[in-house]
Amino acid sequence: MKYLRAALARVTGFFTGHRADDDLREELQAHLDMETDEYIRRGMDPEAARRQALLASGGMTQAAESVRDQRGLPWLESAVADLRYALRALRQSPAFTVVVVVTLALGIGANTAIFSVVRGVLLKPLPHRDGDRLVYLRQSTNQTSGASAQFSVPEVRDFRSGAKSLGGIAEYSPFFTTLQGTDGALRIDIGLVTGNFFEVMGLSPVLGRLTLPSDDGTGVPTVMVLTHDFWMKRFGGDSGIVGKQVTLGSGSATVIGVLQPAPFFPRQVDAFFNMVASPHHLSALMIQGRTHRMTEVVARLTPTATVQQARAEVAAVYARMQRDFKEAYDPGSHYRVEVIPFKEVLGERARLTLWLLMGAAAFVLIISAANVVNLTLMRGVRREHELVVRAALGAGVRRLRRLLLVENLVLTLVAAGLGALIAVAGVGLLTTLAARYSPRANEIRLDGVVFGFTLLVSVAIALLLAFVATLPKEGSFASWISAGGRRMSGGLRKQRLQRGLVVAQIAVSVVLLAGAGLLTRTMIQLSEVDTGLRTEEVLTMQVSLLNPARVVPGADVESKLLYDRMREEIRALPGVVEAGLGSNIPLRSSQLGFDLKAEGRALAVGEATPHADFRTASPEYFRAAGIPLLKGREFAATDRAGTEKVVIINQTLADRFYPGEDPLGKRIAWTGDVLRFTPISGEWRTIVGVAGNTQDGGLDAAPRSAVYLPFHQEFAMMGGLVIRADSNAKALAAAATRIVRAIAPTAPIENVLTVKQIKDQSVSPRRLNAVLVSSFGILALIIAAVGIAGVLAFSVSARTNEIGIRMSLGADGGRVQRMILKEGGVLLAIGLVLGVAGAFFAAGVIRGLLFGIAPHDPTTFISVAVLMAVIGIGACWLPALRAARVDPAITMRT
Amino acid sequence: MAEKLDVKQGTLALMILKTLEVLGPLHGYGVARRIEETSKDRLTLNYGTLYPALLKLEQEGFIAAEWRRSENNRRAKYYALTAAGRKQLAREAREWHRTADLIAAFLAPRREAP
Repeated sequence: MKYLRAALARVTGFFTGHRADDDLREELQAHLDMETDEYIRRGMDPEAARRQALLASGGMTQAAESVRDQRGLPWLESAVADLRYALRALRQSPAFTVVVVVTLALGIGANTAIFSVVRGVLLKPLPHRDGDRLVYLRQSTNQTSGASAQFSVPEVRDFRSGAKSLGGIAEYSPFFTTLQGTDGALRIDIGLVTGNFFEVMGLSPVLGRLTLPSDDGTGVPTVMVLTHDFWMKRFGGDSGIVGKQVTLGSGSATVIGVLQPAPFFPRQVDAFFNMVASPHHLSALMIQGRTHRMTEVVARLTPTATVQQARAEVAAVYARMQRDFKEAYDPGSHYRVEVIPFKEVLGERARLTLWLLMGAAAFVLIISAANVVNLTLMRGVRREHELVVRAALGAGVRRLRRLLLVENLVLTLVAAGLGALIAVAGVGLLTTLAARYSPRANEIRLDGVVFGFTLLVSVAIALLLAFVATLPKEGSFASWISAGGRRMSGGLRKQRLQRGLVVAQIAVSVVLLAGAGLLTRTMIQLSEVDTGLRTEEVLTMQVSLLNPARVVPGADVESKLLYDRMREEIRALPGVVEAGLGSNIPLRSSQLGFDLKAEGRALAVGEATPHADFRTASPEYFRAAGIPLLKGREFAATDRAGTEKVVIINQTLADRFYPGEDPLGKRIAWTGDVLRFTPISGEWRTIVGVAGNTQDGGLDAAPRSAVYLPFHQEFAMMGGLVIRADSNAKALAAAATRIVRAIAPTAPIENVLTVKQIKDQSVSPRRLNAVLVSSFGILALIIAAVGIAGVLAFSVSARTNEIGIRMSLGADGGRVQRMILKEGGVLLAIGLVLGVAGAFFAAGVIRGLLFGIAPHDPTTFISVAVLMAVIGIGACWLPALRAARVDPAITMRT
Repeated sequence: MAEKLDVKQGTLALMILKTLEVLGPLHGYGVARRIEETSKDRLTLNYGTLYPALLKLEQEGFIAAEWRRSENNRRAKYYALTAAGRKQLAREAREWHRTADLIAAFLAPRREAP
């Protein structure tokens, strides 16, 4: 109670201090007068009495000061004074202030922006209820190279009955459909889901309802759940959407609800449907076919289960399945199942890149902080005199420390403010980068937590800076003061710290530069990859005329006529050299592929069942795309329905099936259960040509086996146009799109891109990566150069006396210059050695991000070391030059 | 003149409160004089000691201050004990007696049998 009242009085006192000061003065004056009266009464003369009274008072000013301390909040008052002082001091050394603030702001800004991405994509809890209990199941084989082979309905059934730690299993099948609108058709990515899907995932609707077990099975209406993004984008967040009918490529559906924002895997979708939307998914073949793998699986652990338990159980069930159904798991493909926490799988592709960027940004911050420490140390030495005077006037060590802290806080907080602005500007760019790697990119936010992180970092730096300045121990002021203005070199310990920091800066810069070099060369290597196409002046577009409800032989006759008309009209456009038709546009991975067999060729023991991409092509396709025909002939107009079935295979497949043989005239056939669900036959087809490989899965993908079939001989599952231009392919886009629109007004048109653009999509995330790390590297280089130059300059000014003596004793300018250069060279050399060692280690860590270059690429390492050395020596030159110009007379003066 | 003593921390508040209890409302000078006289001039109070102590007691609510005319017609700030101050005085006095007895008992010259 007593303390509370006293505290309250103090706070009030803080604000009413000025008024109370007059009061106090009057009170003390009254005291003095009364005492003087008393002395006079005792017989002193007034003058002596007054002096005596003043003597007894113990000093009016001191008294007023201690009353003031008692009255208000002295620490706050002095903090305000400190702040005012700090601002004045910083204004007096603008160069120092600007350098410190800018380097820190860049460091803090980069860290803030990248931290926001790391948090959004990797750290933030999932929006799903108890999202940390969700696990993703991935079946993979040698052939899928890490990607999911998905699961079949019977496999899911086995897990459901056998793995008790999986409390619920949600199935969804990534699919696509077309959505008819007033402005033409739109191809949308969808998920076909079981009724329990949203319950298991722990998601809620923001509008309407989600699918329920009653939506499962046949004979129920088709229902559609919109994702939040698609609802906003396509329907403008229309709150009356629930209950509306939409027209799809096959039939119609009722919108029943809108889902809360949530990430999906392997990619974001636009909407969800119950299984009835795809008759195929309810067919007996799908439900009974163990190899008919079309389902992704996310499961929810029971409240007591751990991921380890789930792994053990799933492994046991899977082993049993492989034993019981040997034909479904050919041993050569090495089937395996992983159980991965859902949050982890969402971030798996982004993880390495993001931690790399976070690490690089942290490095930049560390060295910019090191630079600030160095500058502060130097300035601290220059200010020693001032601090001594302050100490002599009665400022305690704590007061001085606080003064420094306030000053550093001003610096770092201004930097943090600027950094936050940089982060706001840069986060958009980073979000596009993250979107390439993670479905969670739209969860990236610059929110309170992120700015809290920024604030924390800044305050930590300020504290660090305030405590590296050496202040004397309490009580040793006298010696400090007596040393006074003479100690200009700042002592050995301080110098050692400065040099250590410079070495660290150089080392870190080398690490960053090496990383930047490796990533840049990766990017260059990638953009120089031979796509397999002989030209870049090719425009591509995908046009879908497929009616998913009628995928039976003969249902595509009309579509083919439309495709032919499109091709002919576009071919007639001015500037078009050639136009071809095909199921896939070049450089895009084919969604479609089947198992394959060659006549008279048995599988080697342990060999995985061969698999190849399915692609169709018109006779003009290869010429239009610029894909070289290595052997045999192109397709001809005579390769149509009813004539002999022919194929062209790519180089990879030819090498695999017919090493050292001529593949022409040999026969291959599609095989496997899956064919039964397609209009594609498993009859023998004769090889009439071999085409060059194309980089279809992205520029860094391994070459894939591919089989081309005549466009007019096979069912048109998909359709794409490949248009070769004589000069500017991009300029043809508008005219070609107009033609397609006129012929097929409701067909979705996609991927209207030139080959150059497709290639760029593969390169651009790497480019951004390389650019970011390179900027960090260059920034680090500049900071390190400023660091080493600063330390040497300081050393020169501290040694001016010594240099003067040396020169008056006969040392010439060159000799002095060499002396200073040597001083810097030693620091540079140590930093380089440490940096190269660190880079060697760091390169191993980022191995996964490199392409076409060894992690310990000697060229990169050597060039980086040379660059650092040249810049470093350059930075030493200036102070060395200044040292050489020292006037020997300087020694006479001091 | 007797050896001068420093005012021990915490004892000054007690002295002020007691002075005000005995003499009624009083200004700072009066309080100082009274304490010095009572201590037979072994204590001297400079302003820097006295006035912060008065302010602290006022902040804690044990005394209240008001400006008045003094007996020889000078404007002065008078301090008076409040009810809370009276209670605090009783409490502190009790504490001091107990402590003093204890210390006295310790320091009493007493020879114990070896």
